[in-house]
Amino acid sequence: MLMFTLRRLSLFFFTMVLLSMLTFSLRYFFPGDMLINLSGQINANTAELKQLAIDYKIHESIFSQYWQYLTNIFHGNLGLSMASQLPISTEISTLLPATIELSIIALTIAMVMGIPLGFIAAIYHRKKIDNIILTFAIVGHSFPVFWLGLLVILIFSIQLAWFPSAGDISLLFEIPQQTGFLFIDILLSNSPYKWQAFNSALAHIFLPASVVALAPATVFIRLARTSMMEVLETSYIQAAKTKGLSFIQIIYHHAIRNALIKMIRHIGLQFANLITFVMITEVIFSWPGIGRWLIVSIGQRDYTAIQNGLLVLSIFIFVVHIFTDFIYAALNPLAREHNHGS
Amino acid sequence: MNLLDIRNLSIELKTKTGVILAIDRVSLTMKEGEVRGLVGESGSGKSILAQAIMGVLDDRWQVHADRFHWRNIDLLSLTHQQQKDIISQDVAMIFQEPMACLDPSTTVGEQLEEAVPDHQLTGFFWQKNKQRKLAVINLLHKVGIKNHTKCYRSYPHQLTEAFCQRVMIAIALAKKPLLLIADEPTAAMETTNQGQIFRLLASLNQLKNMSILLISHDLENVTHWTNNITVMYSGQFVEAGTTEQIFNTPYHPYTQALLESSPKANIELPPKSRLTTLPGSIPVLQHLPIGCRLGPRCPRAQKICVQAPKTTNYHGHQVNCHYPLKEIY
Ligand code: SF4
Repeated sequence: MLMFTLRRLSLFFFTMVLLSMLTFSLRYFFPGDMLINLSGQINANTAELKQLAIDYKIHESIFSQYWQYLTNIFHGNLGLSMASQLPISTEISTLLPATIELSIIALTIAMVMGIPLGFIAAIYHRKKIDNIILTFAIVGHSFPVFWLGLLVILIFSIQLAWFPSAGDISLLFEIPQQTGFLFIDILLSNSPYKWQAFNSALAHIFLPASVVALAPATVFIRLARTSMMEVLETSYIQAAKTKGLSFIQIIYHHAIRNALIKMIRHIGLQFANLITFVMITEVIFSWPGIGRWLIVSIGQRDYTAIQNGLLVLSIFIFVVHIFTDFIYAALNPLAREHNHGS
Repeated sequence: MNLLDIRNLSIELKTKTGVILAIDRVSLTMKEGEVRGLVGESGSGKSILAQAIMGVLDDRWQVHADRFHWRNIDLLSLTHQQQKDIISQDVAMIFQEPMACLDPSTTVGEQLEEAVPDHQLTGFFWQKNKQRKLAVINLLHKVGIKNHTKCYRSYPHQLTEAFCQRVMIAIALAKKPLLLIADEPTAAMETTNQGQIFRLLASLNQLKNMSILLISHDLENVTHWTNNITVMYSGQFVEAGTTEQIFNTPYHPYTQALLESSPKANIELPPKSRLTTLPGSIPVLQHLPIGCRLGPRCPRAQKICVQAPKTTNYHGHQVNCHYPLKEIY
């Protein structure tokens, strides 16, 4: 297990280095003045520009520029947003938690809905239930997420008025920001209306999270279905049958775990997709997250924001990947000790 | 008393293009304490037959029989679930590729534990876990595994194939079976390990009076360990009798060909000459010959062989052939 951890950490390290090189190189592709793009100080005068050139080591070799870039990142010195003139780091620290919250909740919904449905479909393979679930999966998969978002707003927010359509909490509640994660902040706050605030936050997240979750859930259905079908064909399931175990015992003790092992890494891969859905959904539901901020920044040609937003989102996706790898290893004894491959 | 008495068991496979008769009227009897070999090439349907006895074939397969008795209980008059319950109480099975037959993500110990049936444990529920562990350790000792703690905690991929087969046998022994069906238990194993597994099975047969149905493609190897042998070809019954009858005086052209194809029977052959074999190969399920399925390859085949032969019994030596090789002995 130690070896496994070390290998994952080294993978993490080198991927981060590569990623930083990539975002570093972005500065050469953006139009306009590089210094202004980097610092976000659009109204800088000549003296300030000179100081910036020294700060970013712009006239030195590319290596010291890169090194300066890394140092800046580690010091949280990401420049100002060209649009709002606020420091990028504070913007990100308020926006990223909202995105994390939305994506984690959406992922949970997708897994809780998709995986059991897929298993059920596999167990009733070629029966009616299988067909119904599969049809649902294919129909659900073909819904464009922006259209679905507008549709649920029309139905559930405007027609039925069950759920709010924008934002992450009702404006009535004032929650002091501590961690940035709204739900945790609500629980930490000592407002007398804590639970009302909590309910309001739940109601706000329900629609966007469900919209994001639909497409991944349908992918999970199909993944879970195929991996369960594969597992049910294996010799150890056949052997377990001759042991005299009942079908339910076989499913619980042997099939589910092995089927999960087969699909857990695909869940990690699916996460990058999910983030794109989150970005679109954030725009539709005016969710104060980093995805919306990034899309708005692209519209406003806010190069400082684009550069750093991309970096942060990629790091987030990659951390989730590493995390699923650890879950995979915890479930699968084979992965823990293999020294080669994987 | 006959443990198992099967008369004219047929198994049909339902496919998109029609129904295929995979097993055509095979009979099989097992007595208590008997070791019987079930011999046939791969594709002769011997594993399917074993799975049909265990009742684990899925619903694509249809099983019919004239008689299917287990310890004088008529299984045909019971529902499928009842059949399965009765059989799985007393019959255990081990397979080829034992490692693939153990759940790769669960420790060997856990898999052994769940094989111990509840009714063997006396005492209260808080004592049961301990009893279960003890039972598992006992089982491991029975199959000759001394280092039980290490084995208990291992995952299947950490053990060798032969070791896994011992674990499989231990799992099979957990329910104290009357009959053990061993489906090519030593395929793809080294010879020394093969011998160990066979010796283990033989000692279990003698000490526990457990009957064993030993399924194999290797007639010569099987003769060392069995009392009786049943030979199958392409889903049809060929010949059955005591090991001596089959080995010394085979009545059926197929059995004879099998014996003659082994290197031992060809000991006088000059070096580098070909072993005697039947021409052709076993037919695929989609293109089975009518009548005696050996027909196209049989050296003694005649016109009448397009009708399926009837089984004749010569003092317990049963042959399924129109022209048995009876006269030549
Ligand atoms: S019945 Fe005919 S074809 Fe079949 S084995 Fe006997 S002689 Fe050969």
